[in-house]
Amino acid sequence: MLKSIIRKEILNNLLSYKFSIIIILSTILILVSIFVMYRDYCLALDNYEILRQESESVAVIRPTPLSIFARGLEENLCRSYGGGSSARIGVSSKQQSVNDLFKLFTALDLLYVVKVILSLCAMLFAFDMVSGEKEIGTLRQSMSNNLKRPILILGKWIGGFISFILPFFIAVLLGTIFVTLSPMVEMSARNWAKLGLFLLSSVVYLAVFFSLGLLISCLTHHSSASLVFSLFVWAIFVFLIPNLGNILAHQLVRIPTVQRLELRLEQSSVRRDFEKHRADESQHGRIDNRIRAENEKLLDDYRNRLNRLVKVSQNITRMSPLAAFTLLATDAMGTGVAEERRLKRAVLQHRDIIRDWDDEKGDRPVFSYRRSSVKEVLDQGGLSNFLILILFNVLFFAGAYVTFLRYDVR
Amino acid sequence: MLKTIIAREFLDNILNLRFMIGLVLCLIITVACIVILAHDYRQELADYNHRVNLQEEFLSKFALANWINQMMPGQKPPERFRPLIIGISGDESLGSFDDNPLPILFPHLDFLFIVTIIMSLLAILFSYDAVTGERQRGTLRLVISNSISRTTILFGKFIGGTASLLIPFILSLLVGVLYINLNPNIQWDSSAWVELALLTAASITFITVFYLLGLMVSTWSRYSAVSILNCLFLWVLLILVIPNVCPYISAQLRRVPSIRELERRGEEIKRAWIEAGPPREKEVVEQFRGKYGRLFSQFEALGFGKVQEEQSDNPEKVEKLAAADPQFKAMVDAFRGELARVGQERRTALNKAMLKLGADLNTKAAAQTRLAKNLAGISPLADFVYVARDLTGTGLRSLKYFGESKREYRWRFREYASGVETAVEATHKNEPTPEGGWFLDLRDHPRFAFKEEALKDKLGEVLPYWGILVLFNVVFFVAAFAGFMRYDVR
Repeated sequence: MLKSIIRKEILNNLLSYKFSIIIILSTILILVSIFVMYRDYCLALDNYEILRQESESVAVIRPTPLSIFARGLEENLCRSYGGGSSARIGVSSKQQSVNDLFKLFTALDLLYVVKVILSLCAMLFAFDMVSGEKEIGTLRQSMSNNLKRPILILGKWIGGFISFILPFFIAVLLGTIFVTLSPMVEMSARNWAKLGLFLLSSVVYLAVFFSLGLLISCLTHHSSASLVFSLFVWAIFVFLIPNLGNILAHQLVRIPTVQRLELRLEQSSVRRDFEKHRADESQHGRIDNRIRAENEKLLDDYRNRLNRLVKVSQNITRMSPLAAFTLLATDAMGTGVAEERRLKRAVLQHRDIIRDWDDEKGDRPVFSYRRSSVKEVLDQGGLSNFLILILFNVLFFAGAYVTFLRYDVR
Repeated sequence: MLKTIIAREFLDNILNLRFMIGLVLCLIITVACIVILAHDYRQELADYNHRVNLQEEFLSKFALANWINQMMPGQKPPERFRPLIIGISGDESLGSFDDNPLPILFPHLDFLFIVTIIMSLLAILFSYDAVTGERQRGTLRLVISNSISRTTILFGKFIGGTASLLIPFILSLLVGVLYINLNPNIQWDSSAWVELALLTAASITFITVFYLLGLMVSTWSRYSAVSILNCLFLWVLLILVIPNVCPYISAQLRRVPSIRELERRGEEIKRAWIEAGPPREKEVVEQFRGKYGRLFSQFEALGFGKVQEEQSDNPEKVEKLAAADPQFKAMVDAFRGELARVGQERRTALNKAMLKLGADLNTKAAAQTRLAKNLAGISPLADFVYVARDLTGTGLRSLKYFGESKREYRWRFREYASGVETAVEATHKNEPTPEGGWFLDLRDHPRFAFKEEALKDKLGEVLPYWGILVLFNVVFFVAAFAGFMRYDVR
């Protein structure tokens, strides 16, 4: 019986108008986004070659081809980090983009398509699965047969989700073939594993919204009401909670602006020169050490607060599946917050080595950095984000199941 | 009759579930957002004042003449509309090693977000079944069977629907603005209130675009289920896709040379410049050989005609000969003068070529940005964002304006500091200058007070985009009208 329900659901969806609209929309968007981001990646590679040759740069890392799928913080990660004897790390980002409009709008990568547009499509697929059938009267007919409610709701979920997710996979497959065939992209086994994790988390994320749509459908008796609720809940989960999370975190963790920090560091370097010019040469080392210790204290304090702010912000925003998915997906692709923190730690360590380096020992070591593996991603919080997504799924599906058991099909 | 239709549409909407949800959502989000952003504004203002004081204090202690450039004031104050809209500078995260990366992943929530996402979605939800819903329920044919024109029905639906849609928006904005007005930390002058009124008007223009879009789709559809799908499809395209993809499309259509290409072209210009040197100088030598004949051969015999080693041989002998023979001296002076002129000419040509390269990049970059801006203009969201940001001084234009004001101020500051330095040097005329330069007393230095750009200048920039929003309204209304005229009400 389950099979029949799944087949009926799939056929129903395949022949529906919304299927045509959604498949057209998602295919076009996914292919356009991959093409556009591929061009962006080529420019980033070009930029990397230039930054790498700059002698004063301490650290610069190669862009990852996975940024084509999820750009995340890639622009930040691929800046060149320059150091010196001061505590301050200078950054230079010979940005390829001279177009100011990039500052106003978001990058349309696969991550954006999945997290915003396809999540909406998932809800549109599911919002009338129960209430819609009730309205047209087929639900009571189905229930008049020897059919258990759990089988019906499970069949609906599986059939509906398969018909929704298949076009997504076809479009992503086409896009991935395009990317891998292009000469600029070298995908290692590690990258394939990361892409696999990204796709898996995308499926789990979309399943969350599908289950949510089904839950709302079970909670309402008219598809129009179901639609209104679905869209509002979608707007809250996708736009409101993640965006509000940042602002709320700022209220909980006090942190001075980065401009103030920069100003104080700039002033301390002038003050150091001032004091050195006024002091005896034998005092210079002492002045250097004192100012450096002051700056490091300032920076440590700031960085501790910043880390706490990021942590609090992450925890608040995780109340939305979108945030958990974004954090997981960007970390999986090596363009996330965890990767950024890891890179910054590596840059600071390298800066310390260079600062204390005795040139008589030989050439200065070259900065080398390898992005996290899948295992490291999961260890660095990826697993908890994945579990949050699973939890949302279980919660919403269980809600839909319980509600449907008591649903009045008349 | 129009009044009746308006009243009926209005009542129908406000008694609907979506109105209640919209009202609650708008009130909670807008008020929460304004309260939190106003709190942020207070903190940013305090931080700004702290930075200004830090600079003042620093200047009073360490103002050495040679380091003035590193100490110049010119901090950016928070935008006065910060309690409503987060400025672009706040979103930039490429400047510092220690910036917070999260706003890149999850942009902040502000008034722009509420209007562009929440209100546009709400507008579509209010109108997608304005015609199809009535047809499905059978009330449309009853209405049409009376002596009432279709134009009146459509017009009534538009006015009544928009009025009910604007209630949640205006109400929540009023509460938020009341909070701003009562907040002692936020001091808005009359121009800010005028800008707020214009921003509200622009927001209403934007919201009605989406109401009319829903109405238009409804008049072209038979069923509400189809209508909502088409509406959401268009909403995704106009709000989420077009604005985000246009900068990338323009980058493909109007290519700006990459940095690597620029460096390569710069190298090429320099190489060509170096290679062109010896032939040009040889020409000068040939010219002097032809003109002075034996006299120049005498000069060449001393090793001077060979341009590369001009200074390598016997300069004393040349000087001696020049002193003895005025004609020889004139020739040597003319030769040296000509070489210097040629060198100067070549250096000017090099500078010109390099400047042309830079100017070429700027022109192409400006063309790319213009194209991206115009392309994105086909999305009402982009038009509204340009209008709202430029009007409230939170956009790219204001960033540029601030940069110009700061440059102008720093120039004034430098003038003032060099005046003080001259006076100090005159006082210590016979003393050697200490390392780092003299200490300058800059207590009376000109203070940086950033003033917002005049409203009429801003209006010049925003009116064309506002005009496009009005045009969208007209186009969608006409399309809805055309659809409704042919609509089968059965």
